[in-house]
Amino acid sequence: MTTDELVRTQGTPDTVVHRARRALRGLDRRFLPVLGTVLTLALMLGMGQQRYSTERVDFISMKLLSNLLVDNSYLLVLAVGMTFVILTGGIDLSVGAVVALVGLSIAEMFGAGLPLPVVLVVGVLIGTSCGLLIGVMVQVFDIQPFIASLAVMFLARGLANVISVNSLKIDHPGFSELAAWSLKFGEGRQLWRINASMLVALAVLAIAFLVLHFTRFGRSVYGLGAGDGGAAVNLMGLRPARTRVWVYVISGTCAGIAGVLFALYTKSGFNLTGIGMELDAIAAVVIGGTLLSGGVGFVLGTGAGVLVYGLIQVLIAREGLDSWWTRVFIGVVLLAFVILQRVLAVRRR
Amino acid sequence: MTPTTPAAAPPGPSRAGDIWREVTHHGLFWPVLALVLLLLACGIASPGFLDVTVRDGHLFGQLVDLLRNSATPLLLALGMCLVIATGGIDLSVGAVMAIGLAVSLTYLDNAADPSNIGTVLTAVLLGLAVGALGGAFNGAMVAGLGIQPFIATMILMVAGRGIAMLITQGQITTVTSPPFKTIGSGFVLGIPTPVVIAVVAFVVVAFVVRRTALGMFLESIGINREASRLAGVRSRQTTWTVYVIAGLLAALAGLVYGAPTMAADANNIGLMKELDAIMVVVLGGTKLDGGRFYLGGLLVGAMLLSSLERAVIIFQLPSQTTPLFKALVLIVVCVVASPTLRSMLRGRRRADRAQTPASPVEPADAVGVTA
Repeated sequence: MTTDELVRTQGTPDTVVHRARRALRGLDRRFLPVLGTVLTLALMLGMGQQRYSTERVDFISMKLLSNLLVDNSYLLVLAVGMTFVILTGGIDLSVGAVVALVGLSIAEMFGAGLPLPVVLVVGVLIGTSCGLLIGVMVQVFDIQPFIASLAVMFLARGLANVISVNSLKIDHPGFSELAAWSLKFGEGRQLWRINASMLVALAVLAIAFLVLHFTRFGRSVYGLGAGDGGAAVNLMGLRPARTRVWVYVISGTCAGIAGVLFALYTKSGFNLTGIGMELDAIAAVVIGGTLLSGGVGFVLGTGAGVLVYGLIQVLIAREGLDSWWTRVFIGVVLLAFVILQRVLAVRRR
Repeated sequence: MTPTTPAAAPPGPSRAGDIWREVTHHGLFWPVLALVLLLLACGIASPGFLDVTVRDGHLFGQLVDLLRNSATPLLLALGMCLVIATGGIDLSVGAVMAIGLAVSLTYLDNAADPSNIGTVLTAVLLGLAVGALGGAFNGAMVAGLGIQPFIATMILMVAGRGIAMLITQGQITTVTSPPFKTIGSGFVLGIPTPVVIAVVAFVVVAFVVRRTALGMFLESIGINREASRLAGVRSRQTTWTVYVIAGLLAALAGLVYGAPTMAADANNIGLMKELDAIMVVVLGGTKLDGGRFYLGGLLVGAMLLSSLERAVIIFQLPSQTTPLFKALVLIVVCVVASPTLRSMLRGRRRADRAQTPASPVEPADAVGVTA
């Protein structure tokens, strides 16, 4: 019988109260940035509902959610991978270029007549190997993550350019079938659907949630972000070196998956895809309440951050503003969140 | 001019081996070697490459072009280097380039006489002022609010390009103004104007940083902000100043870069240039951790970057493959300069000499080296 069990058997009602109180106090500290994200999301949804709802159709609907997920599934996957890296206090600038490289590779592999499963797996593995390269540079050669991932970004972008500088169409029948597959719900204006990329993105999010909060590895990831170079993690008997390589492998793999999803979304590969996409992903992670210095944040917050990101674009389109306003608004939202985080950090001290 | 020597002279008798080690351990050894090899390779591949001719009193030749192309990355890297010295980073320089140029050209476009020297001067000053304003915003975020530099400058990076688009109304503003064009394609005393501007900026910054206490303050802030504040360094004001300088230099780089075409393409001017600037700083031997910085290395880094771009064309490779070679150079220089590789090699050599089973210095122990 462990001590934990002993305590539990001795005073069950007490611990429940204690635990609830502790949870509330914990909310103060760690959940506030995420709470800000959720509030923003609610605010934006409320504004949309008020401005764009008609008698027949509500703005807030399953259709909106489904469209947001369909349009941003690749970004969600990228941001989930980025969350791992940022939680350890690192950064991965290569993901946008990897998306382009994977898209072009897929197109090229279909051109060579490879079967669908092989193409998809190799596509994801391209991302994995890019991540592994960054991880090795960061861990073994002690190169700053920023520079290591910058080098891999140039590498992936260069390789993508070597494959083709033109947009390559993907017209493999199996791939098109996969892209077109969807479950439809509702009818008429209320019609919404679930498609493959959405399911993949949500599955990635769910797995990341489980891994980060319920495994040894997840604890190591948070521990690495504590800012002591992994000393504490090492003392706890976890494996900092291995973890640090793994987070980049995870981020690279996510970039590979996102590349496949983006190829499904556009049914083509293009070498200029994903310029600045890494920053979209980082912005989504930051809006989702993860501190860029590492150690603090939630992957579900990242999910909310991606929704905020997508919703900004929807609102701007509905408002009839030019698309460049999107970038300005994203900057403003980013600014608001950064200041919010700062205020919270000051209060904590 | 190299303001400081990165590698301190080892004490004791200076044997040939020691000198050799000192040279190879100098932060600039590998970048300079890479640059020299690259230029020689270009010279062999294209016989006229290293020739410089004088035509109409102006210098012409591939090397001169190379210098001209180095001006923009050098200007950006100058500001970036100072920011990195304080332990920060400035991701917004590309966007600031676009904003500065957009403001200048929009002003010229609306002016009655775009060829008037006074108008051009006002346009240039306006562009620079906007750049300084952007830098002031970054500085306020970093020094005033204490936000991490990466995220603080990312805000302007994301929003800046949108702002530039708003200024140009989403169009590519084109103007004709010969005096303005001179900034990018003219000559001063036979030397291309951008080169002159970049060298003047370099000398001014180097003088201010190395002949006043500012450089020492920057380094002390980069090593330990709190300690230097306690020691009496006005770390907030200094950090702020550095971001303003970086913004100013970025806007100047934007003007130099955009002047030859006189077109403000807000979407593409300065795209990914912040990463080029960071690469120049890193190639120049400055570590991203902050603290020590080498201005002299920037000259080598900027030359290396632009000769890399040129070499790809000379070797008749498709110009889109340039990023591939940038990546290779970056990886090779970083890995070769990393202490880990050095200690691995040294450990092996020592082990060979002692003829014992190799027991090299652990490349990265389980504790994990700080990222």
